[in-house]
This record gives sequence, structure tokens and C-alpha cells, in this order.
Amino acid sequence: MTSRFFMSDSGSSESESEEEIREPTNFLARFSDDEEDTKRVVRSAKEKRYEELQNIIKNIKNYKKNKDLASLHSSFEDLCRAYIKAAVVIEKEDGGKIPRFYIRCLVELEDYLNMIWDDKEGRKKMNKNNAKGLATMRQKLRKYVKDFENELTAFRENPDVGDSDEEEEDLAEQDGGSDAEDDMLTPAAFKKETSVASGDSRIAVDRMAAGDDADDEDEYSDWGSDSDESSSDSDPGGLVPLREKFLKKTVTREEDETKKKHRSERKKEPKAPKEADGGWETVKKGSVIPTEKPKMFGKDDEISIKSVTNKLNEIIAARGKKGTDRKEQIELVHELMGIARENNLGNAMYIKIQYHLIMSIYDYAPSGSDAMKPELWEKVLKKIEELLEMLLDMPDLSIGSNITEEDENLETSPYRVHGDVVTIIDRMDVEFCKLVKACDAHSNEFIVKLRDEVKVCKIIDTMLDYQEKHGLVPDVCRIYLRKIEHVYYKYDKKAADQARGKIPESEETSLKLMEKLCSYIYVRDNTDRLRTRAVLCHIYHMALHDRWYQARDLMLMAHLQDTIQHSDLPTQILYNRTLVQLGLCGFRHSHIKEAHNALLDIQSGGRAKELLAQGLLPLRQNERTSEQEKQEKERQIPFHMHINLEMLECVYLVSAMLIEIPYMAAHEFDARRRMISKSFHHQLKNSERQSLVGPPESMREHVVAASKAMRNGNWRTARDLLLNEKMNGKVWDLFHNADEVREMLGRKVQEESLRTYLFTYSHVYDSISLVTLSEMFELPHATVHAIISKMIINEEIMGSLDEPTFCLVMHKTEPSQLQSLSLQLADKLHNLVENNDRILDQKPFFQRNMQGGGYRDRQKPWGGNTGRDRRDGQDRQDRGGRGDYMDRRSNHIGERSDRGRDYMDRRRQD
Amino acid sequence: MCTSDLRSEHCIRTNSNMAQYDLTNKLTPYLDRHLVFPLMEFLSVRGIYNETDLQRTKLDLLSNTNMVDFAMDIQASLYPDQPPSTELTEKRSRVVAELKRLQTESAQIFDIFADPEVQKQVQSSRDYKTLVNYLQENHKFKPEMLDVVFKYAKFQYECGNYSATADYMYLFRCLVPPTDKNYLSSLWGKLATEILTQDWENALDDLNRLKEVLDSGVTTSTPLQALQQRTWLIHWSLFVFFNHTKGRELIIEMLLYQTQYLNAIQTMCPHVLRYLATAVVINKSSRRQALRDLVKVIQQENYNYSDPITEFLASLYVDFDFDAAQEKLQLCADVLKNDFFLVACMKDFIDNARLMIFELFCRIHQCISINMLAEKLNMTPPDAERWIVDLIRQAKLDAKIDSQQGHVVMGTQAISPYQQLIEKTKNLSFRTQMLAMNIEKKANTARSNEVVFKVGG
Repeated sequence: MTSRFFMSDSGSSESESEEEIREPTNFLARFSDDEEDTKRVVRSAKEKRYEELQNIIKNIKNYKKNKDLASLHSSFEDLCRAYIKAAVVIEKEDGGKIPRFYIRCLVELEDYLNMIWDDKEGRKKMNKNNAKGLATMRQKLRKYVKDFENELTAFRENPDVGDSDEEEEDLAEQDGGSDAEDDMLTPAAFKKETSVASGDSRIAVDRMAAGDDADDEDEYSDWGSDSDESSSDSDPGGLVPLREKFLKKTVTREEDETKKKHRSERKKEPKAPKEADGGWETVKKGSVIPTEKPKMFGKDDEISIKSVTNKLNEIIAARGKKGTDRKEQIELVHELMGIARENNLGNAMYIKIQYHLIMSIYDYAPSGSDAMKPELWEKVLKKIEELLEMLLDMPDLSIGSNITEEDENLETSPYRVHGDVVTIIDRMDVEFCKLVKACDAHSNEFIVKLRDEVKVCKIIDTMLDYQEKHGLVPDVCRIYLRKIEHVYYKYDKKAADQARGKIPESEETSLKLMEKLCSYIYVRDNTDRLRTRAVLCHIYHMALHDRWYQARDLMLMAHLQDTIQHSDLPTQILYNRTLVQLGLCGFRHSHIKEAHNALLDIQSGGRAKELLAQGLLPLRQNERTSEQEKQEKERQIPFHMHINLEMLECVYLVSAMLIEIPYMAAHEFDARRRMISKSFHHQLKNSERQSLVGPPESMREHVVAASKAMRNGNWRTARDLLLNEKMNGKVWDLFHNADEVREMLGRKVQEESLRTYLFTYSHVYDSISLVTLSEMFELPHATVHAIISKMIINEEIMGSLDEPTFCLVMHKTEPSQLQSLSLQLADKLHNLVENNDRILDQKPFFQRNMQGGGYRDRQKPWGGNTGRDRRDGQDRQDRGGRGDYMDRRSNHIGERSDRGRDYMDRRRQD
Repeated sequence: MCTSDLRSEHCIRTNSNMAQYDLTNKLTPYLDRHLVFPLMEFLSVRGIYNETDLQRTKLDLLSNTNMVDFAMDIQASLYPDQPPSTELTEKRSRVVAELKRLQTESAQIFDIFADPEVQKQVQSSRDYKTLVNYLQENHKFKPEMLDVVFKYAKFQYECGNYSATADYMYLFRCLVPPTDKNYLSSLWGKLATEILTQDWENALDDLNRLKEVLDSGVTTSTPLQALQQRTWLIHWSLFVFFNHTKGRELIIEMLLYQTQYLNAIQTMCPHVLRYLATAVVINKSSRRQALRDLVKVIQQENYNYSDPITEFLASLYVDFDFDAAQEKLQLCADVLKNDFFLVACMKDFIDNARLMIFELFCRIHQCISINMLAEKLNMTPPDAERWIVDLIRQAKLDAKIDSQQGHVVMGTQAISPYQQLIEKTKNLSFRTQMLAMNIEKKANTARSNEVVFKVGG
């Protein structure tokens, strides 16, 4: 670790010191940990158990030599216990074949005990403890051995094999990681590495602490510390108390330093001397210590594919450990690459090493949430490009996670290499995202960083080509999704023109591309997540390019609103983004009602920022814990993908205004009036509460002022308040077809003002001339006629047209106050009767009503929207309200529910 | 037997611009080869398409059937100066030989069924099991024979001998369990033959039976298959619905109000909306509700499919644009004239559409000038006046004609608050009474239960 402090550049040391400050309590412990952790290796359960057994066996051997029968007895009991633990693993991995070393130990133990037993002289000399131990031990062993009778006899018949094994193994042990053992250890360890996130592997490491401790102590015996102490400490399963370790380490800090130096000196030493003093190292065990392997190969070592592979495995076995010097890891792999190149080991080998090189660069970042260092990022991009180049150059090579380490073939064509290249791309993308998020979105730095997006996209494209040719379906799906996620939020002018029919359909655009990629995933993917994300991105992209109907239909048919709560948070965020984009698209196409419905959920809580993951909202009551904040920050969408929140709110408010104002006018005296949009009303109320209303400044004030003007039928003011320089700059110019939107909005304001006017003032007229109306609102006659006709048919106004004179004749049915009150009373009676009916029909009525309140606050902030919908709908029905927007919408979705399934199936067939 | 995915409609030159609304091209993929012939005949009568091209397509169609004589006729008319091709004559002899063979094979079976006693049994028994048992006991009947029957029937069908096929299919269906592999095919075959022999009464029965089987979901494994089968059924049913007397109500019932069929239309074949729309327009009873639902669907699918008929409804009920509706109505007439299924109801449609326009007019207007009305209805003013007078006399319309100014004045429809109040409270007391009675009943049953419980306990 120290070497890292000294060697790393100033930038990194800065970050280190930060880390230290942040975790002051951990520091010392960490320091000592680091010392030991160098030896930590992620191992499979099997290795762990075997090692445990072997440790005990070693102790037994020692005790045998010392004739310490009491300890031998306790060790034997430990051994039996350990074996029971290991039995499960053995059953699973070796098919129940009892490991040979275990049998050997039993045989030797039996022989030894018989020998001692027979030596009656010696037995008499024995102290009491030992004698007792011997007696019980002998009995126990006899009993125990019965279970293994077959194996033992088999072993006794053929002990030679075992002996030679033993020798080899001893050698191996002294070597501290010879090939034979490595082969056994690493594949499992490696698999774990690649599949499990680093956090998990850390847990795994912790679990193995016991075994490691034994290692550590063994290690000390290397350094000439008291061997007795080590042997007592290395009691299997007995954790060395942390405090003890801590004390020991801090006291001997300086000593540590010297050790460190010592070690680094040792690094320079050739291997031979080390082997020479191997006599001391009988207890050296399993785990591989890359830091102790400065020189890759000795001078005389043969450098072959096999040996390089083994070396590589050694190096990567240290991955993910807390104390591994990550920088050194990178260098080691790099060096290995150099060696491989020097010796011309073939492209397959290079690819394998390159793959691990990239992986170890990824590992370099100390924590999961911080961005990579820029220079490393550059490097990793370069390396990935190189890797891809090599892959493309070698069509007869297949690489994938499905190829196991054993199946690898690095020497002859067809080459097979283990490795998940798509994961590299995924990681790259994640790192890129972090990198972009790490810098201030309004700085120059951000733009510089963002330029790398081109490179990232290029790499993804290359990978996509490669996977299309060689990859398996799941990998292709993954890389397709990766591509989709880089395309979906980008606006392609050509695609939009195509949607509007300016460019022929045959032209290649991003929409076409999306269609192709997404349908591939729809058909072939069988993990739900990829498909869900693909659908959402597809909808988003179509909505972005004004394909309103297709986007809407796909949204309705995908049925995501039912299941989205159960998906992961990034997908829920994507769902929210898609919904918002759909709403914006609807607005551009003058589908005001749909736009309002789509945006309602996101806007209603005032938490749009949070729901779209575009920033953290300050919490009112309690502060976030740093953990929470970290998590939330991780979820954030990078700035270049943001949806403009002010535009969003403006679109929502304007939509709400266009719906709500006529509605308010129509139901001015209605007792049962409901709010369509709460947040719009909130804005209105806020402005009413002010004692002095100045000229509008902000976007909200503009909309509110426009609403007020509209309420009075003053459409010109309303329009001017919505469409002016200020608002253009703030909102409308952000639309790609800004002029069309403005025109649409102007028209909508005219129409809705006309309706509002009619609702508000119809009772003062006996008849109104349509011509006057169309002049007043500057609308074409046909439009006025259509609007009024619709209102008459829907019985919104009581009146009829007088065709010869172009007049709207009002039927005087405006009830007097008494009449309207009695009508309301009748309504209420009606409700009462209905409620009574319902109570009689279903007893659990009360329960249903009671669960309404308080529930809402408890739901999660992310994407719990649809649940809220339904509940609201139910509440409203319970209140006896007529069908409203929400209800109608859910019906609407329901209507097409079957169709959705059909549609998806059809796509699948296509 | 029914899967003829026909896309042979390759290069057919058109004679008029009406072809743009012609749906034959869209319909044929979902029809059986044999069912396409009536459509083709109709097209050649209308003369929208080039006659020789049509003939050539027909020949294509025939290539996979056994109707060799028909094919030879067409070939002769296409290429009068050439002798009939050897291929066809060979095929003819092959077909005849095959027919002979199947005839001899199945002769034994038909002997059994020729027995009047057996026929009585067939008609009286409802269950295929008892029938099969009876036959096995008394007439040396073997279940394997059924396959022969099916084969023979199919062969007959391919030869164009539809009425014979219908009989055999009936027999077959009586004798096999619904799980038989050929059961569904036999149902489709039976329906096709009934349609081709124009036996609408039976065709409707078969249609319903087929629908039941499809809806039960026994025969289809995947939703996609179910969707396809439904789409076929929708298309085949058009033959029945537009020829059967009750079909016009039934088509609305089936296509508009059964969600799975409406979904199939929206997903696979929005062009069927034309037929649905026409049916709704010409169906006088229960129109209003159906119209509302239909207009919703049309609006939804507007971007996907539209033709003058759906546009007519949309402009009338969505935009209230009477001028546009009027224009569309004229186009509709042309479309209907050239549609195989709808040609019969053209007059009905026009009349009803006019009535709809007028009705809507009356609901919106208080006073209409007859000249304007005549223009909107595409009539001369005197005709229009007479038409209105007829309507008033038949008491369909509460209106008076002001002949001096040439106006129609509607009766006022405004409802007074009193009436509203009465309407609203009218059934309240009745409902409350019912409620009280119900409560009493419940209380009584509860009490009697209690008593029983006490006695029993």
C-alpha cells in the first residue's frame, strides 16, 4: 500500500488523502488490513474447505512429531468436524470421492497410533494427559475409520500413488503456488470474479477470513517470527482477535515498513533462493501472492501459452481483494502482455490478456460510485479499441462467457477464449456515464468529456457488428440495447422529417434503426428487463420524432403501467421519461387531453425533478444519509439526456389551463365540481392570494395570467401572454417545430376561449350570432359552427342553431336559485339511494372506504404513479363522481388490453 | 383446408380510380381460394380491373385446386387460339382417377349411411359416442373410416362439388369428437361450402359453432394462432352477415361488442371497419349507442385506416362538418357500388345516412331552410320537402314547415327544471322501497338461519 502512496502521481495522492479524511476511524485498521489482505484470494467453497482440512492435517503431523497426544486428539476432533463441513462440498464437486490426502492422513494416523500403542515402554512414560488422549483417540479413530474402510484398504493397497502425490504436493506447497494447485484454485475463483460484483466478492472474502488468518500466520513463519505462536494462532476457525492484530501491527509499524522494503528487495531476487529456504515454508498455503512475483518468469522458465495463462490466472486471482495494489495489477498484466508479444504467443493469447488488462483497469477505481480518472479512461478506451480490432481480425476466434476456462483453446484454430466482451462495453458505458456526471454540466469540461461519446458510440457500433456476426443471441440483445440506449434520446432531424412525410419512408433514419434493433429484442430476448427497456426506448424515440400514434399504441399495448412498479429503479425512471416524452409529443400534436394525462402523474407531486432523476430535491423534514444521497446520485441521468423541466411544467400547465378553464366556467355553480389538475389550481390560488399582482415574470406567472384572461374570454391577451418573446425564449423555442406549436397553441386558445365565453356568458344572451362570434374570436365560421354543434350535442349548452340567420338561440333553461338547489338536492338523494344499494350489495364496503387515507404518503417516490391513479379513480368512484379523465383513460387502456397481447405476438412473429 | 394465403394479386391494371377503395386485395389473404371466386366474378362484372389480368389471376387461383374444367375454360378464354395445355389434361385424368379411388374406398361407408334407419339415428342422437357405438354394433363401422370420409369430402371440395362436401362434412362432424385433428378443419370446410352453396341459414349455424370452438380456446395453442383464426373468421363471416337477413345486427354484436374480435380488427385488419360502419349505419335499431362506440374506434384507428365510409361518420360525429359529410356520402355511394359485400345495401345505406345527417341537424338546429337542407342531403328542394313531410307524418319528427319562408321549424326540446326534477326523483321512492324489502328479506333469512341453528344446536 505504501508503494502506492509514493509511486502514484500527485492527483491520486490527493484523492487518497481525501479518502483518509473521510474514513478516519477506519484508517489504522485499514492499514493493518492491507498488510494481510495482500494474501486474500477469492476462493470457492471447495478450496476453502480443503484448505481447512489440510491445515489441520498439517497440525496433526506436527503433533505426531512432538508426540503431543492431547493436542493430537483435539486436532483429530477438529478434523472430523471440518470433514463433516466439507462433506457437502465434496459431494457436490467431486461426486462424493473422498480426497486422497484425507484418507492418507487417516491411514497415517492409524499407523502412528498403533505404533505408539505397541510401544508399551513409551506408553508408560507418557504423562497422564497424553495417555488419556491416546486411549480415547484410539477408540475414536477405530470407530471413525469404519466408515471409510473401503477407501482405506484401497489406499493401503496402493499407497505409492499417494506418496508421490504427497511429494508433489509438498513441493507445490513450498513453491507457494505451483501450477498443479493453481489449476485447481483459479477457475472457480475467476468465475466468481467475473460474475459477482466486487462488493459481493468482498463479502466472500470476509467469509473466508478464518482461512486467511491461518495464511497470514503462516506467512509470518516465513519471516522468521516465532513458529510456536503461529501454530497456536493458526488454530482453524479461531479468529485472531482484531485488537490483538491491531496492536501487534501498530507497534510494529516500523517493522512493517522494513518488511515492506524487505519484500520489495525480495522481489528483485530471483526465484531460486526462495525455493532454497523452502524448508521453512512447509506451512505456506494455497493463495497466490502476485506482489511476491516481481519477475514474471525466471530466466530458464519456458514461456509457453500454458505458463503465461497460469501466470495470468495468478494475477487475476488477486482481483477484487481489498489490499491488492490495483495499479500494480495493471502493470503486471501489461508486462505479461509484453512477454506474450515478445514470444509470439498468438492473437488468442493477446486477446485474453487484453481482456484482463481492461478488466483490471476497470478495477482500478477505488469505489463504485466515483468516476474513473481521465487518463485511465483514455487508456481503457484505447485498449478496448485495440481489443476490438484484434477480435475483428480473427474471424476464427470465438469469445464468450459460455466458453469455460477448461474449454479454452488458445493455440490452434478455431480459437476459443473465455471472456464476456459485452460486459466490457457495458462497463465502459457505465464509466462514461459516471465520468460525464462527475463534472459540472455547465462547464467547458463537460463538453470536452461529452466528446468521448462519439468514441463510445463507435466502439459500440464495432462491437455490434462483431456480435452480429459471431455473437450469441443474448449477447446480441445486450449490445443492441446498449446501442438503443445511445440512440433513443437523440433527435434526428431526418427522422422527424420522415415522420412528417418530407422524406420518403425508404430513407435510412434513426427511427428505422430503432425499429430494427427493438424488434430483434422483442422477438428474441427472454429476460423481461431488456425487452421492457427496449420498448420504452422505442416509444421515447418515436415520441421524440412526432410519431404520435405509433408511440401511443405501443405504450398502450406494452402494458407497462401494470408491471412497472416491480421493475428496477433505472427502468422506472426510463418509464417516467418515456411518459413525459409521450406527453410532450401529444402536446405538439394538439392532443391536449392526452398530454395532460401523461404529464399529470409526473407533475402532480411537484417532484418531476426527482422522478426523472434529473437532480436531487431538498428534503424538508429529514436529511438524507450520505448512503442515500450516494445512491440517488448514482441514479441520476447525465445532463445531456435531460428533459427540460421548465418546458415540461409549462406544457403541463398550459394543457391543464386549456382543459380546466372551460370546465370551471361550465361548472361554476356546480356543487360537485372537481379539480382536474391540482397543481394548476395551486398556482391559481397562489396568485389570487397575492395582494398585488405585478406584470408576469416567470413562466408560471405568465400561464396564470393567461388563464385569468381566458376566463374572461379575453383570448387575445391570453394568447399574447402565452406567446411572447419571454416565453419563446424560455419554452417554445425549445421545440423543434416551434412555429407549428405556437400556431397550434394560438388556435387552441381561441377555441377554448370561445367555449369559456359561451359557458360564462350564455345566460345573458337570448341569441348570439355565429358571425359575430367568429369575428370576435377570429375563427373561421365552420370552426365556430363545429364547436357550437358539439356543445349542443353534448348538452353543454342549452340552445339550438337558427340556420337561416346563423344564430345560436338560447333556450331559457337557466334554473332559478330555488330550482338549482332542488336539483342538487335531488342529485344528493340519488347518491344516497345508490350508496344504500351498494351497502346492501356488498358488506365489505366500509373496509374499502377506510383504506383511503395516509396510504399515499407511504409509497415510494419512483414510478408509483400508476398505483396512485388507480386509487384516485377508486376514490372518485366511491364519492359517486361520474366518469372523469382518469377513469376514462383506464377504460381506454383496458379496452385495448387484449389487443396489446396480440400486437406483441404479431411483432414477435414478424 | 382453409389456409390459402393468397398473394397472387400481383399486377392487375386498374380501369378506374375507384380501385383505390377496393378491398379485395386486403381481404383475399384471409379467405379460402374457393371463396375468392365470387369476389373475382363480381370484380369482372364491375369492370374496375383489366379483364385479362383478372382471368389470369383466376387461373393462378385454380392452379392449386382440382377444378380442372373451370381452369380449362378460363384458359380457353384467355388464349383462344391455343389448344388446352397438356398439363391440365394430365391433371384432369389424375384427378378423375383419384376421385374414382376415393369413391370406391368410401362406398362402403356411404352404404351404411344410405340406410334410412341409420339416418334417423344420426338425426336423433346428440352425442357422437352413442352414434359411433350404434354404428359399430350394427353396421360394422370402424373409426378409421372417418378419415376416409374426411379425405373424400376434402377432395370433393377441391373439385368444386360443394353441396356433396357439405353433406359429408356434416356426417364427419357428427361422428368425431371435438378433439379430433380434423375437427376444426371440417368446421371451416362446412362453413365454406355453406357459403359457396349460399345456404345462409346453415352457414350462420356453422359460423356460430366455429366461433364457439375458437372462443373456447381448445384448438389453438398460442394467442397468435387464436388471433389469426379470429381474423379468418371475421372475413368469412362477412359473407354470411351481409346475406343473412339477421346478419346486420349480428355483425355489430360480434365485431363491435366482443372485445377479442374488435381487437383482432384493430390489430390485423382495420379495413373491416368499413363493413362494420356500414352495418351500423344501415341498422336502424340500437343505432345510437353502437354509433358512439364505433366512432370511438374509428377515431382511434383513423391514422391507420380510413375510407369514405369511416370518414363520413367521423366528419359527421366528430367534427360536425355537414358539408364534408355530404361530400363523403357521395363518395360512399361509389365505394358501396363496387364492394362485393355491400353492393346490396347501398340504397339502405344512402337513406339511412341521409336520415342521420338530418337527425343530427334537427338536434342542433331550431330552424332550417329547406333549400339548404336539400343541398346537404343531395336532393332537389321539392324532394327534400316531400321527404320531410313524410318524416313528420310518420311522427318521427317534431317539426313544422313554414312554407312561406321555406323553413322547417323544430319543436322546442328544452326540458323545464320541473321535468328534470321529476325525472330525477321518479324512481327514487321505488328503489328505496325495494331496498327496504331486500333488507327485510335478508334480516328474515338471517333470523330463520339463526333459529335453525339454535334448533339444530
